[in-house]
Amino acid sequence: MPEILRSPTGIAGAVLLSLVAVAVLAGSFVAPYDPQAFHPATRLTGPSAAHWLGTDQFGRDLLSRLLNGAPSTIGFGLGATLLGVGAGTVIGVIAGTAGGWVDSVIMRVLDGLLAVPELLFTLLIVTILGGGMGQAMLAVALAFTPGMARIARSSVLSIRTREYVLAAVARGEPGCYIVLREVLPNALGPIIVEATIRVSFAIMIGATLGFLGLGAQPPSTEWGLMVAEGRQFMFRNPWVVAVPGVAIALAALGFNLFGDALRDSLDPRRSVRG
Amino acid sequence: MTFGYLLRRLAAVLLVLFIVTFAVFAITMILPGNAAIMILGEYGTPESVAALERQLGLDRPWYVQYADWVGGVLRGDLGQSLRLSLPVSEVVGQAFWNSAVLAVTALVAVTVIAIPLGVVAAIRRGTAADLVIGLFAYIGASMPEFVTATLLLVFLAGPATGLLPAGGFVAPGESFAGFVSHVLLPAGTLGLILTAHISRQVRSEMSDVLASDYIRAARLKGLRERRVIRRHALPNSLAPAVAVISLDIGYLLGGIIVVEEIFAWPGLGRLLIYALENRDLPVIQAVTLLLATVYALSNLIADIVIALLDPRVRYA
Amino acid sequence: MTNFMVTRRGVMIGMAAASTLPGLGWAQGTPKTGGTLKISHSTRIATLNVLTNSGPAEYPVMDMVYSGLTRIGPDNQPMADLAESWEGNADATEFTFKLRSGLTFHDGTPCTADDVVATYEAILNPDIPASALSVLNMVDTVEAVDDTTVRFTLKTPYADLPTSTAHTNARILSRAALSGDLAALDTQVNGTGPFRLESYDSARITRLVRNENYYMEGRPYLDAVEMHLFPDLAAETTNFLSGDVDAMLTVQQADYERISSSPGIAAKRVPSGRYVNVVMRQDQPPFDDLRVRKALALAVDRQLLVDIVLEGLGRPAYDNILSPEFKYRIDTPEIPYDPEQAKALLAEAGHPDGIKLTLVASNRPAIRAQVAIAIKQMALPAGFDIEVETMPHDTYLANVWRKGNFYMAYWGMQPTEDATFNLLLTSNASYEDSAWMNTEFDALVEKGRSTTDEAERAAAYAAAQELILRDTPYIIPFFEDVVTASRDDVADWTVHPISRYFYMENAWLDRA
Repeated sequence: MPEILRSPTGIAGAVLLSLVAVAVLAGSFVAPYDPQAFHPATRLTGPSAAHWLGTDQFGRDLLSRLLNGAPSTIGFGLGATLLGVGAGTVIGVIAGTAGGWVDSVIMRVLDGLLAVPELLFTLLIVTILGGGMGQAMLAVALAFTPGMARIARSSVLSIRTREYVLAAVARGEPGCYIVLREVLPNALGPIIVEATIRVSFAIMIGATLGFLGLGAQPPSTEWGLMVAEGRQFMFRNPWVVAVPGVAIALAALGFNLFGDALRDSLDPRRSVRG
Repeated sequence: MTFGYLLRRLAAVLLVLFIVTFAVFAITMILPGNAAIMILGEYGTPESVAALERQLGLDRPWYVQYADWVGGVLRGDLGQSLRLSLPVSEVVGQAFWNSAVLAVTALVAVTVIAIPLGVVAAIRRGTAADLVIGLFAYIGASMPEFVTATLLLVFLAGPATGLLPAGGFVAPGESFAGFVSHVLLPAGTLGLILTAHISRQVRSEMSDVLASDYIRAARLKGLRERRVIRRHALPNSLAPAVAVISLDIGYLLGGIIVVEEIFAWPGLGRLLIYALENRDLPVIQAVTLLLATVYALSNLIADIVIALLDPRVRYA
Repeated sequence: MTNFMVTRRGVMIGMAAASTLPGLGWAQGTPKTGGTLKISHSTRIATLNVLTNSGPAEYPVMDMVYSGLTRIGPDNQPMADLAESWEGNADATEFTFKLRSGLTFHDGTPCTADDVVATYEAILNPDIPASALSVLNMVDTVEAVDDTTVRFTLKTPYADLPTSTAHTNARILSRAALSGDLAALDTQVNGTGPFRLESYDSARITRLVRNENYYMEGRPYLDAVEMHLFPDLAAETTNFLSGDVDAMLTVQQADYERISSSPGIAAKRVPSGRYVNVVMRQDQPPFDDLRVRKALALAVDRQLLVDIVLEGLGRPAYDNILSPEFKYRIDTPEIPYDPEQAKALLAEAGHPDGIKLTLVASNRPAIRAQVAIAIKQMALPAGFDIEVETMPHDTYLANVWRKGNFYMAYWGMQPTEDATFNLLLTSNASYEDSAWMNTEFDALVEKGRSTTDEAERAAAYAAAQELILRDTPYIIPFFEDVVTASRDDVADWTVHPISRYFYMENAWLDRA
């Protein structure tokens, strides 16, 4: 773990993620104003002493709204990824360990699902379920599952033939034991790396759905929704779209950088070359 | 790469398409509201809604509607748009060309820019150039399209600068200059993110290749660096580059939806959003079918190209 | 708004219009012929079927290619269109319209009383979807007395029939078109309007060209009109400002300031009776208690809504569904923003600790959610704990509209008091959703529509409005202005506050 923090990407990623964590955990307590309160006299103004990041069309403080929206935006990313990773890992491990026709069937189905472009898949599911954050999270998790299952499966497949696994099989250990104690811990590496990077995608897709009006609904402070609502005012006060937009980018960037650093630190070839 | 393999892949694609369209159909059946209600809006009385539903054939049982549609597709008839009263093939066909123009413009520009960028970053690994390119790539990959598009609009199309139009479409046939000015921002938005992905992949693959044994051997043989790169490193990095480009087609198909919406580009993405909002089932079906087909076929083609480029790859 | 003194005879008889419309004072010099007017819009022109179209961009196109027996003029009174005059009998149960002679459709075939009869028979036919039916359902028979005379016989007396025949979906189609495949009406046009359809691409441009055989001599001035689609509002505005189009059909309130201060642009705001109304269903708690409705009415800061949601482009309203433009509107007292009093009223009604509610707003148009959010904040100090629930428009139409107990509705202006009351408030109104069901109100509205005596009508409508103000069936916080913009060399282009009548035959381009 500490090696990650030696590489520039790792450090940058960790810094950004810490900022994000602070915003998510402490944001609501630190916010200077009620994110929903109107201050009509100072609407659509840029940064000032009273409002550090400016105000929106209703006169609501942008900094407060940003902090207030952090949990939903980031939480969406984490939640959707966890769900997708969880479901995908279970399916992938089953396919990888079971082998045979179980594996074949699952692979066919996965291939089928992977044939649909991700955003399109998400859009269709969200349209059935109706808009809303919960529904959008489910949709994104469903869209991630096949990809994660594939990775989990190939990870398991490559572990299956390792000596320690074969040794366990030779010892006569029960299947569950092998999976839980030998295979899973070693397969987790690539899964975690992929998951970390996926969080950044989930954040972006969640924000995109919010932007299209299919994810978070007003008066939520989810960052994608903030950009969507602010667009018609963007020429009068660019801060209304710049603030949430840059925040989304920084959060996604943090997860991206950290995930890459994680991958580099886990990959033996790369650490040899340095 | 046998003929049998190809056939099996194609059959799998067809099966997938069938499942996808059935799923889409089922989805729209479950949704509240239908095209007739959306057309009449708040001025619809129950009688006029029922009359319109009869007119549009929405009162038939769902399996009849689906079978009717599938039969039509096999005959080459994609049906009639419920909202737009035009044949779906016309509506979707035109949109497809517009999207294709945008996508191809973005891809071409990206390939021309991204691959060299990745190569440079790999060759000059660890230097300032690598860092800058890497930074740009990271940031590009972390910005959702709507953020990039909005920021570009604010800076380049706002009233202060007014350098480029804020949206709209001009066909290349009508006015090439007009086309270029209108395509720059949407293609640029797509391109920025694509460039980020592709250049990173190319850099990563190139780095691997440059460190591999046979490159070391080539260098030891005394060949000049340029030749090493051009004759030995580059061709072996191309296969993964193609793989990434094909992966990015999937991203492109999604990104196009948002970009077209923001820039008022009359392509498939915008058409899909409009059709979803208005429950225009035949159009939703047709667009989904088209996008899924393009994606599946491009994956298949990419697999074939990779196999051709890299003889080490074996397919069962 | 000019208020014409209409005599008893004037209500029943419409005279042939002079070549200029009443109320248009600002002619910018001598009209020049020629040029193409480019108008941008942000919602699709999904159909050209004049019997059912309802999209905001479809109205101007239909207005340009089709004509009806009558039209609504800028003074809100019916004026002659295809009918040069009309006359009703004393008890408003029979109306005779005299058509102009020599009228032709775009394809050259004559337009006669028979086509009028065919059109109205189609509208009245329950198997043919027709939006105008709701204002024509009192018509019993329509017959052609001769080639240029049409007689309407009504089931019940209705003084405003000439307004109903001006309905945008009651334009005249040929019998030939109506006997053929009705689906063709979605994409083909054979009308009598000042322009005819040249090309129709609903994804981009719809092009209309001058009808050389239009019944008004020398009109239209324009060679052609093009409708350009820009679904993204920001893109539309920027393209307009850069000169790519000559006019914007609707301007977003947020952009008005920027647009009207740009050089070479004439931005127009026309006061209109368009409103957003808060529906509070009265047949269930909590809104069955008048005090709760009154409390909410006191918890809405109407001027603030005009300022921040409409950017000042509107007028505060105080729950009277009629805007000041209506002839029979009475003076309406202002309702102050008084959360303290609201809180007291709530306590009186049995909610001393406030009340929790869910307010539904569909996502189309965006103004519903914006007002809902603002109301949520404004009503908080009064003890209203409102959760705003937004949803896609079709879900709202299918699940909430006319069923839910607390939601935001949005209606355009109607041409008459009767049409306004019968849209929503009478017990058998077409889109009734308040559960007010007030028989006294119904009787007053009935009285108003079946008499032609000015004084009687005024009294009946005044009493009806008093009932509305007493019972607050809806909260109506403001009247929204109609806002359009054009380059300042586009002359004599008027948009009626109802946004369905455009008088495009008078517009001309002042370009060298």
